[in-house]
Amino acid sequence: MTMQTITHRIGRLALREGKRMCSRPLYVFCMVIAPLFCYIFFTTLMSNGLPTNLPVGVVDQDNTSTTRAIVRQMDVFQQTHIVARYPDVTEARHAMQRGEIYAFYYIPHGTTEDAIANRQPRVSFYTNGAYLIAGSLLYKDLLTMSVLANAAVGQQTLLAHGATERQALGFLQPIVIDTHPLNNPWLNYSVYLSNTLIPGILMLLIFLVTVYAIGSEVKEGTAHEWIHTAGDNLPLALAGKLLPHTIIFTVMAAGYDVYLYGVLGYPCNSGIGPMLLAALLLVLASQSFGIFLYGLLPSLRFALSAASLWGVLSFSISGFSFPVMAMHPTLQALSILFPLRHYFLIYVDQALNGYSLAYSWQPLLALLIFTLLPLFILKRLHNAIVYYRYIP
Amino acid sequence: MKRQNLVQSLKEGLTDIFQVWGMEMHSVMRDAGVLIFVILVPLAYPLIYAFIYTNETVREVPVVAVDESHSSHSREFLRKVDGTAEVRIVEYAPDLERAKDIMRRKGAYGTIRIPDDFNDRLMQGEQATIAIYCDMSGLLYYKALLSSCTEVSLEMNRDIQITRLTNTTTREDEVTTRPIEYEYVTLFNPQNGFASFLIPAVLMLIIQQTLLLGVGLSVGTQREHGSFLQLVTIDRHRRGTLRIVLGKALVYLMIYAVMGAYIACVVPHLFHLVQLADGNTLAAFMLPYILACIFFAMTASAVVRNRETCMLLFVFTSLPLLFISGISWPEASVPVFWKVVSWIFPSTFGINGYVHINTMGADLANAAPQITVLWIQTGIYFITTCLVYRWQIIRARRKIIQERYKQQTAKA
Repeated sequence: MTMQTITHRIGRLALREGKRMCSRPLYVFCMVIAPLFCYIFFTTLMSNGLPTNLPVGVVDQDNTSTTRAIVRQMDVFQQTHIVARYPDVTEARHAMQRGEIYAFYYIPHGTTEDAIANRQPRVSFYTNGAYLIAGSLLYKDLLTMSVLANAAVGQQTLLAHGATERQALGFLQPIVIDTHPLNNPWLNYSVYLSNTLIPGILMLLIFLVTVYAIGSEVKEGTAHEWIHTAGDNLPLALAGKLLPHTIIFTVMAAGYDVYLYGVLGYPCNSGIGPMLLAALLLVLASQSFGIFLYGLLPSLRFALSAASLWGVLSFSISGFSFPVMAMHPTLQALSILFPLRHYFLIYVDQALNGYSLAYSWQPLLALLIFTLLPLFILKRLHNAIVYYRYIP
Repeated sequence: MKRQNLVQSLKEGLTDIFQVWGMEMHSVMRDAGVLIFVILVPLAYPLIYAFIYTNETVREVPVVAVDESHSSHSREFLRKVDGTAEVRIVEYAPDLERAKDIMRRKGAYGTIRIPDDFNDRLMQGEQATIAIYCDMSGLLYYKALLSSCTEVSLEMNRDIQITRLTNTTTREDEVTTRPIEYEYVTLFNPQNGFASFLIPAVLMLIIQQTLLLGVGLSVGTQREHGSFLQLVTIDRHRRGTLRIVLGKALVYLMIYAVMGAYIACVVPHLFHLVQLADGNTLAAFMLPYILACIFFAMTASAVVRNRETCMLLFVFTSLPLLFISGISWPEASVPVFWKVVSWIFPSTFGINGYVHINTMGADLANAAPQITVLWIQTGIYFITTCLVYRWQIIRARRKIIQERYKQQTAKA
C-alpha cells in the first residue's frame, strides 16, 4: 500500500463515518451536547467555590445578653447562617432530620452564671455527619469561634491585669497554625472536583461512542462494506472510521481546558501545553480502550455495559475525592487499569502543582500504553467484525 | 346490571394486566441485557462501592517535617503530630526545598515547618507560628493534616498556659485557660467517614439508574422487533393503556421489591454503615420511591429508539444527578436554577429521604416532605407514562392498518 492509497482510504472512511454521524442525532448528543452540558453544570453548580451561609439552628436555653452575643458572633462567619431557634435539643434534632439545618448550637440554662462564677460551663455544637462537606465546613467555624470566644473573655481579664495586647495573644494562643493549601488557597471545591469530573464524563462518553460506532456496523450488517472500503485492513478501517471522532473529541477536550483555565481562571501552573497534551492522550486512550472492550466482548450490549460500568467506576477509583492510598491494597493495584486515574495524576502534577513534565512520566506512559491496547486484540476483533452476527 | 358490569370489567382488566405482566416478565427474564441492569448491577455495584470506601477516612497521611527550631518544644510538637492517627511523619528534611522535592516525588502530601525563632518566641511569651503546606490534590489530605496539627497545638497551648500560670489548683488552671468549654458532636456519622456519607446516596441512585437502563433496554428491544404491536391486541378493550402500563410496572415493582430490600437494608448492614431506620417508615418511603423511579423510567424510555441507545443517553447522568441532590455539595448552596431542575428527578428526594430515614433516623412525620413529593412524582410520571404509551400504541396501530390496507390493495 502506498502512502497515497492509505490517505485516500482514510479519507473515504472518514467521510463515510461523517455521513453516519450526521444521520443520527445520538452522535451529536453524546459527543457535543452531553459533554457541554456537564462542563456548564458542574462549574455553575459549584460557582461559589466554597459553600457559604449554611443553615444552622440555635437552642439557647440561657438566653442572656452574653449568650445572645455569642450567637450573633457565630452568624458573622462566612459559612454559618443562623436560620432558626428551637426550645430544646429534641426539636433541633428533628429539624436536622427534616434536612432544614446542618448543625445547631446548644447553650444550656445557666451558662452565663457559671461563666461568671468560674464554673466553666459547656456549650455544645452538633453537626450532621450524614452531609459530610457541610458538617466539616461548619466544624471549622466552630473551632475558630471557640478560640475567639475564649480569647475574648480571657483577653479582657488579662488586659485588666495590665498586660499588653501582644502579651495577651501570646498567652491565650502560644502556638498558631498557619495553613498554606498549596495552589488552591481558596479551598475551591469546583477547582478540586471539576478538574477531574469533567474529563471523566468525556472519557465515559468516548468509551460508549467508540463501542457503539463499531458495534452498530455489525448490528446493521454494514461491517463488510466498512472493512471493504478499507481494503480489508482492520487497523486502517478503525483509524479511518474513528478519525472524525478523534477530531471532535479532541476539540471538546481542548475546549474544557480553555474553559477551565482560560475562562474560569482555575490554577494552571504548568501552562496550557501539558494539559492539552494530557487531553489528547485522554481522548486517544479512551478511544483505544473502547476498541479494546469491543474486541474483548464482541457483543454491542455487553461491550456497552462494560464500558458503562468501567466509566462510572473510574470516578471513585481515580482517587480525586477519596484518596487511593486509603483504599484496600487490591483496589490500589486495580486503579492503574483506569485511564482517568492517570489523567488525574497528570493534572495534579501539571495544572495544579506546576511540576516539570518529567515528574509525570509514569502516568503519561500509562496513557500511551492504553492507546496501544487495540493491538492486542486485533485478530479477535477482526473475527468479531467479519464473522459474527449481531446477537441482540 | 351495573354491578355486574363493574365486576365484569374489573375481571377483564385484571386478566389483561396479568397477561401484559406475563409477557413482560417473560421477555425480561430471557433478556440477558436487561437482567444485567435489573439484577446483576443492583446486586454487585453496591458491594464494589462499599469496598472502595470501606476505610471511611484517610489515616497516616505521609508528611515531611522541617524542624528549624531544634528545641524541645518543636520536637514535642512533631512527636505528638506523628502520634495522631491522621498523620505520619515520613522524613525530617533539613530545609523547605528538600521537603518540596519529596512532595514532588509523591513521597509526602504535606510539610510541617517549625521556624528557627519558634522556641525563642515561646520563651518570650509571644505568639509562635508553625506553617503547614499541603498538597491540594485531595481535600482529605488537607483535612487530616490540619485537624492533626490543630489538635496538637490546642493541647500544647493549654500545657504552656498552665506552666505560666500561678494558680494553685488544676481546676483553676482549666477555668482560666478556657472560661467556656466547647464540645463538638458529630451526629449520625461518628467517624466522619466517607462511606457512611456517600454510600446511602449511591444506593438510591443505583435504583433509579438501573431502572432507567433496564426499562430503556427492554423498550428499545420491543421497538426494534416491533413487538409493541402485540400490545395493540390488548388495547382493543377500553382503557387498555392503563392495563398495559400497570402490567409492565408490576414486573419491575416485583423485581425491585426484592432488589430494594437488598439495597436499602442488607447492604448497609453488611458494611456496618449507620442504620437508624424504623422499618415501617423505610417501607413507607421505599414504595413511592420505587414507583416514582419505575414510571419515570417508563416515561424516559420514550426517547429510546434502539436497544442500546439507552446506555449512551442515561449512564453519564449519574454524576450530575448525584451532585444535584445536595448530598455532597450542600443543597443550601445549590443555585436556584439547578435546584428547580433537581425536582424533576426522583433520585433527589430518594437520596435525601433515604439519608434522613436510614442515616439520621427520621420518623414518618419528619420524612413526610420527601415521601409526599415522591407520591406526587409517582402520580405525574404515571400519567406521562400513560400518555407516552397511548401515543405509541396509536402509532403502532396506524402502522398495522396501513400495512393491511396495502396488502388488500395489492391483492385487489
